[in-house]
Amino acid sequence: MTSQNPITPAVRNGILSEVTREKLRLFRKRNVKVMKQIMKNPMGALGITILVVFAFIAVFGPTIAPYKVDVVAGGQFDKYLPQSSEHWMGTDVLGYDIFSQLLYGARTSVIVGIFAAVIASFLGASVGLYSGYVGGWQDEVIMRINDIVLSIPWLVLMIIIAAFLGEVNMVGLILIIGLTGWSGTARLVRAQVLSIRERQFIERAKAIGANDLHIIKAHILPNAFPLVFANTILTVAISILSEATLSFLGMRPVGVVTWGTMLSYAWGSSAFLIGLHWWIVAPGLCIVFVVLGFTLFGYALDDILNPKLRKR
Amino acid sequence: MAKRLVNVVLTIFGIMTINFFLINLMPGDPLLNMVPRDPKFDDSLKWDMVEKFHFNASLPERYVIYLKNTVTLDWGSSYMQKESLVLDIIINDMRWTLLLVGTSTVFTLLIGMGMGAYAAYRRGGAFDLSSTGVSLFFYGMPIFWFAIILQIAFSAPTFGMEWWPQLPTGGYYDVVRYPGAFQWNLSVVLSVLEHLILPSLTLSIGSLAGVSLVMRSSLIDVMTEDYITTARAKGLTDYQVLRHHALPNGMPPMVALIAMSIAFVIGGAYQVELIFNYPGIGYRTLNAIYDLDMPILQFIIVIGGAAVVVANFLADIVLLYIDPRIKIA
Repeated sequence: MTSQNPITPAVRNGILSEVTREKLRLFRKRNVKVMKQIMKNPMGALGITILVVFAFIAVFGPTIAPYKVDVVAGGQFDKYLPQSSEHWMGTDVLGYDIFSQLLYGARTSVIVGIFAAVIASFLGASVGLYSGYVGGWQDEVIMRINDIVLSIPWLVLMIIIAAFLGEVNMVGLILIIGLTGWSGTARLVRAQVLSIRERQFIERAKAIGANDLHIIKAHILPNAFPLVFANTILTVAISILSEATLSFLGMRPVGVVTWGTMLSYAWGSSAFLIGLHWWIVAPGLCIVFVVLGFTLFGYALDDILNPKLRKR
Repeated sequence: MAKRLVNVVLTIFGIMTINFFLINLMPGDPLLNMVPRDPKFDDSLKWDMVEKFHFNASLPERYVIYLKNTVTLDWGSSYMQKESLVLDIIINDMRWTLLLVGTSTVFTLLIGMGMGAYAAYRRGGAFDLSSTGVSLFFYGMPIFWFAIILQIAFSAPTFGMEWWPQLPTGGYYDVVRYPGAFQWNLSVVLSVLEHLILPSLTLSIGSLAGVSLVMRSSLIDVMTEDYITTARAKGLTDYQVLRHHALPNGMPPMVALIAMSIAFVIGGAYQVELIFNYPGIGYRTLNAIYDLDMPILQFIIVIGGAAVVVANFLADIVLLYIDPRIKIA
C-alpha cells in the first residue's frame, strides 16, 4: 500500500529535513502529553468519550443504519408508521426511517459544526491578530466594525444572509454560520495579542532586527495558538447549535439530513400528538450530547493550554 | 469617557447603516406581498404604496429618508398592517418581550449567581461537580427544543401521576376566559403570570450555565488572592470571607457578562416566543422576515442592536464605579 503513495518514499528519503522531523516529534510528544492531561480531568475525559462515540456514528452511521436515507429518491416507507421492531423510532412525514435518519444526521451536523467553526476561528484569529498587532486607527476601525457585528441580533443576521443566498445547501449553511461567527474570536485574539506584544521577548526580537512577519510567525502565533485552538473547539459546539436553530426555523439545507431538519419536520407534524415521541426527543438529545462533548473537551483544553487559568 | 460616548454613537450609526443596506438589498419584492393579486384592484393601490413607502426613490435617497426617520422616531407604518404605526406595534410587542425577558433574567441571575458562588465556595465537592455538569448539559440544549419538550411535558401527559401540573403553553393570558383588550385586574394578571411560567423557565435555564460558570470561575480566581488568606487569618468565618471579601471582588466579570448576555437573551427570546406562541418582538421579527415587512424589521434590528451597545456602555460605567483599578480609556 505504501509504495502506491508518492509522498511516503519522498519523506523517507529525507525531503523533510532533520529540523522539521524533530519539530514533528516534539509536536507529537506535546500532543500526547496534552491528551494524557485531559484524560486525567474527569470532565475532559467525559467529553472525549462522548466525542469518540459520535465520531464513530458520524463515520459509520450510514453503513450501520438499518435503511438507506436517499434524499433525492425520497422515503421508501409509508409515512408516520408507529414504532416497531422494523422501525425502532417509526417513520417520518416523508416516509424515512427515523432511526436511520438520526444516524445519517450525525455526519452532517458534525461536519457543519466543525467547518463553520474553522472558518469562524480562522477569520476571527486573522482579524484579531492584525488588529492587535498593527494597532492605531486600523485597530479602531476594525474594532468598531466588530462591535457592530456583535450587536446585531445574530439570529436575524443569519436569517437575512440566508435570504440572500436563497436556497441553502450544506456549503451555504457552513458559510453563513462561519461568516457571522468570527467577532467573538477576533476580540479574544486581539486581547491576547495586545498582551503578548508588550512582553520582553518581542522587544528583544525587534532589537535584533526581526521584521513584523517573523515576529508574528515565530513569537505571536505560537503564543496565541492554544487560545485559538481551545476557542475553536468551543465554537464547534455553538455552530452545531446554530445549525439546528437555523434548520429548525426553516433555513433547511437542501439535499442532506441534519438533526435540525429532523426537528423542524417533527415539530411541523406535531410528532408527539401522533405518538412518534422519539422523532422529537432523539435528535434533540443527540445535539445536547455532541455539544456537551465539544464543550467539555474545549474547557479541558483551555485549562491545560492556557496556563493562566490553571489551578493555583 | 467622551471617547467611549463617541464610539457608542458611531457603533449605533454603523448598525443603522448595515441594517439598512442588508434589508433593502434583500431579494424579494415586498410590493408583491402588499398588493392583493386580484384583477379587481387596479394599479392605483400599487402606486399609492409606491408613493407612501418611497419605492420609487433611489437607494441613497431612501437611506437619507431612513436616517432622518429613525432619529426623529417617525417610523411610518408597517407594510402588512398599513393602518398601524411601526412605533405602536413595536412598543406593544416590546412590553410583552420585556416582561418575559425581564422575569427570566431576574431568575437566571439569582439562581445562577447563587449556584456559581456555592460551587466556588465548595470547590471540587459534589455540588460543584454536579452543578457544573448540569449547567453544561443545559448549555448544550437548543432553546427551541427545550421549549418544545417543556410544552409537551406540561400540556397533556400526566405520566401516571395525578398531581402532575398542567400549565398554559401559549399566548399572553387566557383570552377565552378574559376576552377583549387587556385589563388590569387580579385574575387577568394571575393568568398572565401563569402563562409566563414555561417561557421564562425555558429562557432562564438556557442562559443559566453562562451565569453560574462565570460566577464560579471569577470567584475561584478571587479566592486564590492573598487578601482572602489574610481575611481567613483574621479569623473571619467562611461566610464572612465570601460575603465581604470574595463576592465584591468577583463582581466585575459578572457585570460585563450581564451586558453581553443581553444579545444572547434576545436571540433566545425569538425561539421561545415562536414555540410558545407568545407574540412579542421575536415573534414579530420572524414574521416580518417571512413577510418582507421592511419597516418593522429594520426598526426592530436598530432597537435590538442599540440596546446591546447601550448595555455594554452602561456596564463600562458601572465597572468604573465598582472597580477603581480600571482606568478610563
